[in-house]
Amino acid sequence: MVNLMKTITAIAAVISILLTSVGSLSARTAQEIIEAGFNHYRGKASEATFEMVIHRPNWERVMELDAWTKGTDRSLVRITAPAKDKGNGTLKRGREMWTYNPKVNRVIKLPPSLMAQSWLGSDFSNNDISKSDSILTDYTHELVGTTTHEGHDVFIIKSTPKPDAPVVWGMQIMHIRDDDVLLLEEFYDEDLQPVKRMTGDQIQMMGGRMFPKVWKMQENGKEGQYTLLRYHRLAFKDDLPDRYFTLNRLKTKQRR
Amino acid sequence: MDFQLAWRNIWRNPRRTAVILVAVVIGVWSMICIAALMRGIVGGMVKNNIDTLTGHIQIHQRQYPDDPVVDYRITDPLAIQSILKKELPEGSMWSTRVRVNAVASNARHSTGVSMIGIEPEREAHISFIGAAVTQGRYLDESDTSSIVIGKALAEEFETEIGKKIILMSRDAPGDISSRAYRIVGLFQAEMEATEKGYVFIPIHTAQKMLKMGTAVSEIAILLPDADLSETTTAHLKDKIRDGDLIVRSWQTILPLVTAVLKLYDTFVFIWFLVIFVAMGFGIVNTTLMSVFERMREFGLLKALGMRPGRIIRGILTESAAILLLGIIIGNILGLLTNWGLSFGGIDLSELAQGVEYAGMARIIYPIVLVKDILAANLVVLLLGLIVSLYPAVKAARFTPVEALTHV
Amino acid sequence: MLIDVKMAWRNIWRNPRRTILTVLAIAFACVLLVFMLSFQFGSYDTMINASVKINTGHLQVQAEGYQSRKKMELVISDPRPVERMLDGIASVSAYTCRARGFALISTEKRSYGAMVVGVEPDREARVSTLKDIVQKGRYWNSPPTPEDLSGALVGRLLARNLGAEVGDEITILGQGRDGSVAATVLTVQGIYASGMDEFDRSAVHIPLATFQEVFFMDQAVHEVVVIADRLSSVPSIKATLQNQLARSAAPEKLTVLDWDELMPGLRQAIRMDLVSGSIFYMILIMVVAFSILNTFLMAILERTHEFGVMMAVGTQPGRLTRLVLTESAGMTLVGVMAGVTAGCLLTWYFQLHGIEISGSAELFKQYGIPPRLYPQLSLLSASIGPAVVFVITFLSALYPALKIRRLKPVEAMSH
Repeated sequence: MVNLMKTITAIAAVISILLTSVGSLSARTAQEIIEAGFNHYRGKASEATFEMVIHRPNWERVMELDAWTKGTDRSLVRITAPAKDKGNGTLKRGREMWTYNPKVNRVIKLPPSLMAQSWLGSDFSNNDISKSDSILTDYTHELVGTTTHEGHDVFIIKSTPKPDAPVVWGMQIMHIRDDDVLLLEEFYDEDLQPVKRMTGDQIQMMGGRMFPKVWKMQENGKEGQYTLLRYHRLAFKDDLPDRYFTLNRLKTKQRR
Repeated sequence: MDFQLAWRNIWRNPRRTAVILVAVVIGVWSMICIAALMRGIVGGMVKNNIDTLTGHIQIHQRQYPDDPVVDYRITDPLAIQSILKKELPEGSMWSTRVRVNAVASNARHSTGVSMIGIEPEREAHISFIGAAVTQGRYLDESDTSSIVIGKALAEEFETEIGKKIILMSRDAPGDISSRAYRIVGLFQAEMEATEKGYVFIPIHTAQKMLKMGTAVSEIAILLPDADLSETTTAHLKDKIRDGDLIVRSWQTILPLVTAVLKLYDTFVFIWFLVIFVAMGFGIVNTTLMSVFERMREFGLLKALGMRPGRIIRGILTESAAILLLGIIIGNILGLLTNWGLSFGGIDLSELAQGVEYAGMARIIYPIVLVKDILAANLVVLLLGLIVSLYPAVKAARFTPVEALTHV
Repeated sequence: MLIDVKMAWRNIWRNPRRTILTVLAIAFACVLLVFMLSFQFGSYDTMINASVKINTGHLQVQAEGYQSRKKMELVISDPRPVERMLDGIASVSAYTCRARGFALISTEKRSYGAMVVGVEPDREARVSTLKDIVQKGRYWNSPPTPEDLSGALVGRLLARNLGAEVGDEITILGQGRDGSVAATVLTVQGIYASGMDEFDRSAVHIPLATFQEVFFMDQAVHEVVVIADRLSSVPSIKATLQNQLARSAAPEKLTVLDWDELMPGLRQAIRMDLVSGSIFYMILIMVVAFSILNTFLMAILERTHEFGVMMAVGTQPGRLTRLVLTESAGMTLVGVMAGVTAGCLLTWYFQLHGIEISGSAELFKQYGIPPRLYPQLSLLSASIGPAVVFVITFLSALYPALKIRRLKPVEAMSH
């Protein structure tokens, strides 16, 4: 008897586990989709080489950069080319950012007044970088539709800031594929008018997962003015040492 | 006796007397009005400055005035307030504030502002903000994430009541802290710089955001009478024995305003003299003419043996009588005019953009000072007598023969 | 008619003392108004000239759109053609080039965002007051030493906020013209105080050559700042420049801005001062008018007997009125002319020597006004006051003159 009871309980447990996992496969919550997309995009830790193209109506500038990330709130980015900008970099830890310039050999912590300024001259603001994980913590998400992209289903998610969240946006719209690839992040003001958008393009295998090779950030209504990030190399890691994200490392000129 | 004679003399020719009287009245009246207007202009400026978060006395951590950051704070405001309760004159009011620089932003705009955490009820008695909210509402004690911003800032930010503003500033531990606020009201101020530069939030929220516990940046005090500020400041300095704190009166906080106040004393007096000289010609002329008209009379008096000194004294007494009468009427008219103007003031709002540049008020309310009235009266009386001396001496010099042959 | 004039003239001089006093009263009023108005206009000119000397200059040549957007890339890529144009305009007394860029300024302790302004040390000293307002440390040498090239002048409030003293190092981190990172370490060589808090809080001045190197500007600048020999030549310089710029082959579209466009608000401040000032002048003119009215009234009252006699011998009241009016017109004319002459002389004297307003240096510093004020004699300031006096005097003469019509000869004679 006892044995039978045990068996039944075991079967019930297995069934219930099966049921829940099937359920999550077919209908993940918007929150889960966002988290999966963010984790896919960010990984536990990553190492990348990419170029950044800052395009303006009259000129264009190309920079080569190396970047390391760990978890949601640490990143270090360093310029490797052109020669005159080489060695400049930024370190983000939590909500704080530091910038380093080899010519003056100084590490400077960015004051609040500079957080809304442009990051390394691009269309990203320092805030975009320092609050990159804000989408996970400051918003509630809602699945508002689906579409398709290269044979994949795409979830359209509307993210609304929590009432007291310190974010300037009124809403964000994200397009995330069923394989967790982020295609579009669109920023809206409080009147729900689009302000700027980041799009992912040329999705291919990178660092062992499908990843947009090219990212584009563009302000609404500013034709001929955008910033492109084009990945050359991307590797996802389980972990990177903490010493990678220190002021000292921001200053070191070592290649990698 | 002399005065009675003079009084009778001046009414012997009422028309002539009336003419001089009018000159004196106009002179005194205009002096009082000009002084009141000038005082009104600076008075408006002083009031503006005191209202715009200065108050009469301020208490800070010693380094705060030079470097207004969160690090320099009054750690135990309650202790100070219990001293204030005991030592301030009856009718004084005070309020504590958190006041640091911050960055305000929304989706499209970002700018530096002065973020001010206030005790809504107490603050309303101390500074302009209590009465300045023209749209929406002022903060109340139960608010947490509410913010009141200037109308000009709202226009610059293309925002309105009900929308969000994010404030970002360095907190006490030294990290960047940011928080969302919802606009509940818009205020209007005399100066656009005030509307663009100040945002108001509840003090508890500010303390929480900046992780500063119960500490505050400043304590502002409003006395029942602005003139008490220097003595009260000295008294408070004596009572607050904390060497880390600094107590300053508005005269010290606003040296420029104090300088302007002094400068206007000179300006008022210069105008008095200018007006008097303009008026003086009239007095000399008319008195001189009346003296010549009465040549026969003086000649006769002299022939009868009256001393020249007596004649001079007689004429001066007559002048004094007319001057006194003119001064009295002039004072009454001047006070009445200013009383009338004190209701509506003189509105310069059409030129407000410029007024603001000069740091003045949009509406000038004349201010009548007793010292100005006394000065005006004294100037007219003394200088009036001095200019009357010339015709008086002339009259005293008539020889009887010369006078009697004069037609 | 001629007889009337002759009679009037003789009448005037029958009682010279009264006439002289009346003429003096009128003259004095004119002197006062000419001087006060010139003084007021002069102080406006001083105010404008002083304000423009702190920063903006009378005129600026900029790339179109720079004034409103202050974008680093909106440059004058080669200022030399503009300089040649300016050299050819006689009424330009000085000019200089500047470049500016927003940057993060930091010391060991603090960081602040501020405007970095590149200036040409020698020329700047002739254009703005920057050299004179350095309170601690020193201005750049002429010609700049190598050490000077890394020397920065910092505003008093910014220096205070940064916790920087003369001799301390400051780091500048910004974005160059081509978008690349612009960074350098400079030494605080001087700290200046203009009295304008906004200016003292928000700027760091460095030599233009250093700026162009650090911010990758090549020869480019953002502003050519022009000082005119006098305020009144600003419009003509502006027109000439606009004309020549339109025909020049500069790679970018350049525009000319005058002080009014560079400093909106200043003109309104002046207008507002004129409005409140005119209240005071109106009161003054009223006092003057009454003083003159009194004199005339008195003069007529005194001559009641004489008029009575004239009427008794058959003179028409109309003719008497005319006679009296001619007399007053004569006196007024003499008075006004004397007054304008004396007023102009007095004003001219102070225009050369200036008037010291003591005890107000600090106040004036805020508006960038030097403690010595100079009246500015002009056709307008020399004519408005006297014209008003003339009209008012004539009107006040009218009243007693008309009174004559109502005189009864017998009563008058027995007066």
